Amino acid sequence: MTDALHGALRRANRIVALILGVALLLTVAFILTDVILRKFGWGSLGGSDEVSGYVMAAVASWGLACALLDRAHVRIDVLRQKLAQPSQAAMDIFAMIVTNGVVLLIAWHCWPVLQKTLERGSRANTPLETPLWIPQGIWFSGWLWFALSATLLSLIGIAHLAKGRRAEFDAAIGMGSELQE
Amino acid sequence: EELAIVGSWSNLPLYQDFETPFWTEKLPELTDGEFTAQLTSFDQMGIAGSDVYRMLGDGVFDVGATVADYTVGDAPELEGLDVPLVATTPAQAQAMVEAARPMVDDIMRDRFGAEVLGIAPYPPQVVFCKGEVASLADLEGKKVRGSGRMTTKFLEALGAEGINIAFSEVPGSLERGVIDCAVTGAGSGYSAGWWEVSDTLMTIPLGGWDAVVIAMNADRFDGFSEDQQATLKSAVAEGLEAPAWAAAEGGLDNDIACLTGTGDCASGEAASMTLVEPSEADVETAREILTTEVLPDWAERAGGDWATRWNETVGQAVGVTIQ
Amino acid sequence: MIWTVAISLLGLMALSIPVGIVLFILGIGVGEFYSAFPLLRGLGQVIWSASNSSTLIAIPLFVLLGEILVRGGVAERTYAALDKWLSWLPGGLVHANIATATMFSATSGSSVATAATVATVAMPQAEKLNYDPRLFSGAIAAGGTLGILIPPSINLIVYGFLTETSIPRLFSAGLIPGLLMALAFIAVTAAICLARPHLGGPSRSFGWSERANSLVQLVPIILLFAVVIGSIYAGWATPTESAAIGVVMAGLIAIFLGDGLGPRAMAQALHGTIRISAMIMLVVAGASFLNFAMTSAGLGRQLTEMIEGSGLSPFGTLLLVIALYLVLGFFIETLSLMVATIPIVVPIMAGLGYDKVWFGVLMIVLIEMALITPPVGLNLFVVQGARKSGSINDVIMGAIPYVLVMICMIAALIALPGLALWLPSIL
Ligand code: NA
Ligand code: NA
Repeated sequence: MTDALHGALRRANRIVALILGVALLLTVAFILTDVILRKFGWGSLGGSDEVSGYVMAAVASWGLACALLDRAHVRIDVLRQKLAQPSQAAMDIFAMIVTNGVVLLIAWHCWPVLQKTLERGSRANTPLETPLWIPQGIWFSGWLWFALSATLLSLIGIAHLAKGRRAEFDAAIGMGSELQE
Repeated sequence: EELAIVGSWSNLPLYQDFETPFWTEKLPELTDGEFTAQLTSFDQMGIAGSDVYRMLGDGVFDVGATVADYTVGDAPELEGLDVPLVATTPAQAQAMVEAARPMVDDIMRDRFGAEVLGIAPYPPQVVFCKGEVASLADLEGKKVRGSGRMTTKFLEALGAEGINIAFSEVPGSLERGVIDCAVTGAGSGYSAGWWEVSDTLMTIPLGGWDAVVIAMNADRFDGFSEDQQATLKSAVAEGLEAPAWAAAEGGLDNDIACLTGTGDCASGEAASMTLVEPSEADVETAREILTTEVLPDWAERAGGDWATRWNETVGQAVGVTIQ
Repeated sequence: MIWTVAISLLGLMALSIPVGIVLFILGIGVGEFYSAFPLLRGLGQVIWSASNSSTLIAIPLFVLLGEILVRGGVAERTYAALDKWLSWLPGGLVHANIATATMFSATSGSSVATAATVATVAMPQAEKLNYDPRLFSGAIAAGGTLGILIPPSINLIVYGFLTETSIPRLFSAGLIPGLLMALAFIAVTAAICLARPHLGGPSRSFGWSERANSLVQLVPIILLFAVVIGSIYAGWATPTESAAIGVVMAGLIAIFLGDGLGPRAMAQALHGTIRISAMIMLVVAGASFLNFAMTSAGLGRQLTEMIEGSGLSPFGTLLLVIALYLVLGFFIETLSLMVATIPIVVPIMAGLGYDKVWFGVLMIVLIEMALITPPVGLNLFVVQGARKSGSINDVIMGAIPYVLVMICMIAALIALPGLALWLPSIL
């Protein structure tokens, strides 16, 4: 059950990463088109820097859970590596729960940004006049997804720990030592 | 009372020469020690100029100052404070801002929960062009770096193309023909060396005046006694607003002298750009475009009765009526 | 406040809480204890502003550029060619790490992206050839920092934006110091490995014909450099847009001059890009919030008082500012450090008569140092992330000699400002 959940979470985040990657490629295409049009004096699409910013915001929120599942968020092991196995596991679960708490708090405080935008019908102060709820909605839901992923991962970690499944515990929330592709 | 102040761009004269001395030195003097302040700027805090009032409304600091034009994403009606091209002298700009003040007061209260303390100008946002540009009509087909929604709309109406690039990338972009013209304050353009890569200076305020609204969190303001409120407002008016407007008068002449080499330049060596002053025809064209396209467009964006209010206040002050 | 934050930072990081999360916790703590204001209410807005950035998009783009070169086999061939030319030196393959990093620096504007690219190709070789993991990984972390000194450079773009200095001038000013520093890295590596041969692994010599044949493998990178930098100087693209042009060019190179770029390789490249970028962005977002909290609590005032109140001569002030960046660079993430300090420091230095372009280059060297000094050093993290085993301590230790080289570079820039200013003056 926990393994199935962990597997599903990993697969879901792989798909998220792929979608973000494609969005990045589309941004590249957008910028390139703009450069070419301008170079040959055919006008300009306009707004490529604005759209780049929105894509960046999406990557910087939706990508966070992907990095978490890959155990890619940087942790310092100066103290941890000097400890015995049980203490290491204690540090891992502690770090995970602290992370989880902070991420929940952040997601909570990200909501007012979108809320104000919705209340005021805010639009970007640019020629595109993008309704800001779209990029901010994507960004905020990315933080929600990060909070959800972190919570599930904490529960997975606790379940593995309770059953004494050392290897599975490490693979879920241990320190990344075998980043497999 | 100690106030936490977030000032405007820390690299520009408004912050260095007016906001800094006012909040750190003059405020305690003018209020007999009633108020003191801790000052930083939004760029140093790493927050966007457009987010200053959002945070101000949340009470993250007491007083915030930013270019009103940056925040029109949250409050499109605020665009009416700084309409490009209608005010060509500092005195006209001041009249425009004063006429708009009651509108701005209401907008800041309703949208951001903030009380306006004062409105100070940046220098007029004039046009630097590479090559010959003799009139507004010559901008047709040119690529112009401008900021602000109304300016971009105006450029579009002229048949020019508004391009959005960072301030520091302007000289290189002018030099290599990525853009033909760029809009900024004359003083900024002088100190950033734009004159090295452009030939013509058009002194029409195509980008408006980038009015900076200095506002206080309304809860904090309402918590003061009436005496305190009056003291604070008059201190800002006397110690910050007035000197900033006074400097706008002399500053523009000096900056133009420095850029064109006509007259005395107090800031350093003078450059030799060609000065293009707005002709009657230019002013006519500009007003025509404004009243028939740009301003009606704004009235629609702002909604409500803002167009009527604008006509009765700012419109009267500058002699423009939205049809 | 600075010291309390620094000590708490060390403590929380030692508990192995992710670095980005630690920075958020400290930001919240500073807001609670050093500020009378509900700074937490600004948290969402600060994160949104930090993430919604068309400048920072250059980071994932440069990472993607590197990933494409890796998956398309281009990076590996470049590395192998440089190995043939440099492995006769004491230290062997470590020199190839530095030279590869230098070459990629010329196509990438990001130090972390450069370090990530080189680490991915080089790390497998270290284990195969039995190198000392410390010097080997330290050289990659340090070599990667050249990414922001040799143009293009995201950090120089940020500096130019904040100080209203011409970015192409800054770019050209960084080139000579960047190349000199690469040479100094190689010299120091050789010296270390002469003294301690076991650190360097085998020195291997290749025949001249083999070397000459390998030169063709360097063509793709030189082509890429020409396109990225050329697009800026020819006026086709802004420095940020050149990153996107670089990605397309890297793709074409991988397809036509490399091993090709199938859907599977592309998917891996994209996944890797998102993982590294998100890892960096969590640190950047946390650092932005900490910076926001510390600035609200008076960091700027403390710095201003320290510098202006010191009553030192212009030269004394310069040394004080350098010392300040050395210390802050240990603890503060580099982009936040630049945003928080440039508006305070640069006007003071310019007022004292220092050239803004020159000071920009000097600052970039200090920022490079911050990238490889613990506890907060993004390049250390990135290289450690690419290793399959071992502790981050190895990378930290290995980077120390290169930190010393950077200090010498700073001295050289002060003694000979022309190192930075000559090239922009003739372009
Ligand atoms: Na570079
Ligand atoms: Na550091």
